Amino acid sequence: MNWELIGNLVRLRYKLMWAKTRSRNGKIALFMAGYLLFVLLAALLAAGGLGAGMVAIRSGQAEPIAQAVLSGLFVNAIFGTVLLGFGMNAAFSDGELRRYPLRERERFVARHFLGIVDPFWFLILALEAGLVVGLYVYGTYSFWNGAIAVLLLFVCGYLLTRVAGVWIDRLMNTRSGSMVVLMAVMCLSLVPGTLAPVLKKNPALLPGILAVLRYTPPFGAAAAMTHVGADAALGLGLVAAWAVGLAMALVALERRPLGRQQVARKSGSLWDSPFDRAAALFGPRMAPMVGFWLRFYLRNNRFRMLYLFSLPLAAFLTFNVGQMRKGGAGLAVAAMGALPVVTFMGTSRIAVNQYGYVGGAFRRFFLFPTDPAASLRAGSYAAVVLGAAMIPPAAILWAVFAPRPLDARMVLMPVVNGITALFVFHGLGLWTSLYGPRRGNYDKSLGNDMSLMGNLVVIGVMLSCMFLPMLLKFVAPAAVSLEYWWLTLAPAALAVAFYAACLRGASAAFPARRERLLAIVEGKA
Amino acid sequence: MTSQTDAIRITNLVKRYGQSLAVGDLSLTVPRGSMFGFLGPNGSGKSTTIGCLTGLLDPTAGEVEILGGRFTAESADLKRRMGVMPETLGLFDPLYAHEFLAFVARMYGLEESDARRRVTELLAALELTDTRKTLAEYSTGMRKRVAFAAAVIHSPDVLFLDEPFESIDPAGVALLKQWLRRFTEQGRTVFITSHVLETVERLCDRVAIITKPGKLVWQGDITVLANDGAIDYRDRQFESLEALFLHLTGEKYAELNWL
Repeated sequence: MNWELIGNLVRLRYKLMWAKTRSRNGKIALFMAGYLLFVLLAALLAAGGLGAGMVAIRSGQAEPIAQAVLSGLFVNAIFGTVLLGFGMNAAFSDGELRRYPLRERERFVARHFLGIVDPFWFLILALEAGLVVGLYVYGTYSFWNGAIAVLLLFVCGYLLTRVAGVWIDRLMNTRSGSMVVLMAVMCLSLVPGTLAPVLKKNPALLPGILAVLRYTPPFGAAAAMTHVGADAALGLGLVAAWAVGLAMALVALERRPLGRQQVARKSGSLWDSPFDRAAALFGPRMAPMVGFWLRFYLRNNRFRMLYLFSLPLAAFLTFNVGQMRKGGAGLAVAAMGALPVVTFMGTSRIAVNQYGYVGGAFRRFFLFPTDPAASLRAGSYAAVVLGAAMIPPAAILWAVFAPRPLDARMVLMPVVNGITALFVFHGLGLWTSLYGPRRGNYDKSLGNDMSLMGNLVVIGVMLSCMFLPMLLKFVAPAAVSLEYWWLTLAPAALAVAFYAACLRGASAAFPARRERLLAIVEGKA
Repeated sequence: MTSQTDAIRITNLVKRYGQSLAVGDLSLTVPRGSMFGFLGPNGSGKSTTIGCLTGLLDPTAGEVEILGGRFTAESADLKRRMGVMPETLGLFDPLYAHEFLAFVARMYGLEESDARRRVTELLAALELTDTRKTLAEYSTGMRKRVAFAAAVIHSPDVLFLDEPFESIDPAGVALLKQWLRRFTEQGRTVFITSHVLETVERLCDRVAIITKPGKLVWQGDITVLANDGAIDYRDRQFESLEALFLHLTGEKYAELNWL
């Protein structure tokens, strides 16, 4: 193994990261990321790892608490990486590494070593390590058993997300892959929501489920942390076996050739496109540009994946957050916050960074004999159309699964909130596309390549959608009661006005940003 | 006002990026109906100049006139009469070739039926008939052909081509040259940048050579070279464009004893 070259590549990766901080935006991003990470780490270490260790010892339930904490961290890490893209940014692709004198196995190790040293994974490791320290300080458990267990669990978590990522990537490149992914995500997201009531009715099922969970990496690590001798060794062996198995699965998946979606065209169907038919609604001047952006969105794997994920995610959020509040009123309030997420989840990546994935073709917009800002508006119209198209299926699904008796206002209120979120998000997206652009890779299905501003808008609007109705329920219950359903209309009208103002404002600001945008999207800044 | 015989007139063009000077006080004229070669070493400001001539970049100072009208980034009517093949090609990778060309044609105001007819004819002529591949899956040479097709689909009066021949196979280059000659015979103008000096020598009738940062060092007629003649420059005779170019831009030799 050529460790010297791999070490040089690690150094190069960090040099490249550091080089980005030379710009003003880079410095702000570095400061914010460092500050947020520090605060988050301190808060979570205290409340999560160490705190959990203390509670585990004091309650005398060390193993179940360790199982719960490690499982929670494990699942959250996978959720955070696959859905939000944290920690999935590979520094170098296999193709890029081929120019160096590295063998296949060395390239594999180099890529994944570079992947696992991402700050996101260090945060997860720190939280898990906090539990080990807590158990060691407040109890009498072995520090080294715990340390080895969390290290192996940390590797398992990384490998599992990579396996999931590559699997999704491969599937999304096949014709029926998106449906398979959708079904898999649907099933997974419905498990927690359906499991809780089932277990409540049949508590006898719990030991059986726990017996199965014992074979998962977090339970194995928990056993290694809270036992000694053979039991601890068995736990460590289990996590190690998972790590080896996942590494083998990753190698096998990566070796499979990436399929390409190729649709054989008949000469007659060459000009018959649903994109152009949909774009024609915007009039002859805007139609070609809107048609282009519709194609740009709908041929993007990341868009398609997030678009499909958004429905199960909304269902997951509604039923999990709603059930915490108990009863129909809780579910209805949760739906008011969760349904709007479908209006921007799919379009989010491109909508906040419209030109980041266009590359050198960005200059084409300035060669056309039209207002170049028309490309910004057309891209936003396409995103709004695609976001709005998700409202009817989400409303129908909610109407089907909503608590009975069904009141039409229970469906109407989330729909109107969805319209509000749709226009607020895409209005903000116009500004982030101009002032927070970042060069991204159109072909990547996973990973978070948004700028700091883009992340703030996506996560901020998502959290606002989810928690604002909850907050209003406590602060001003009338605002989320069915009786005052019409109160939701005013924010929707304001959102439409806000979007219109953003379209005008961003179009006016566009010419001044032209050269800066060009430098960023062509990788010269 | 631009002379009726000039397609492009650049007067005291300056372009700065912050403190860095990319083009410094460039003035030149390109006659209508000419095949004009715009040459210079790497980083001399050729692409920046083309950026200013096509509305991509705003000049820091100076004036650009195209086809008799003052040109700015907002000159939509003039842009409609210009065709551009950028150095980066400017292709939208997720599109199929026919979709991309139809999109470009529509953006230049062609009717849908006209656009479709021209796309079909261009794709056939340039042998780009595989409709199962997106532009991302095309080879570099095929991408160049698509970018060239996009530059000419609306029959422009002035054509800007930034490095048009590199990566295209000899048959493709021969076809493009034939089209470009016919283009100029019709009184239209071609403005080419290229590092392949032999091609420029055979194809162009006039040439301008610039050095860093965008300073004009020579401009003149090179048709004399086609008749086995030589270019006179400061009492010296240059029998090839390459010899003149190297003389003006400075020949450099560096010895590497390990190479």
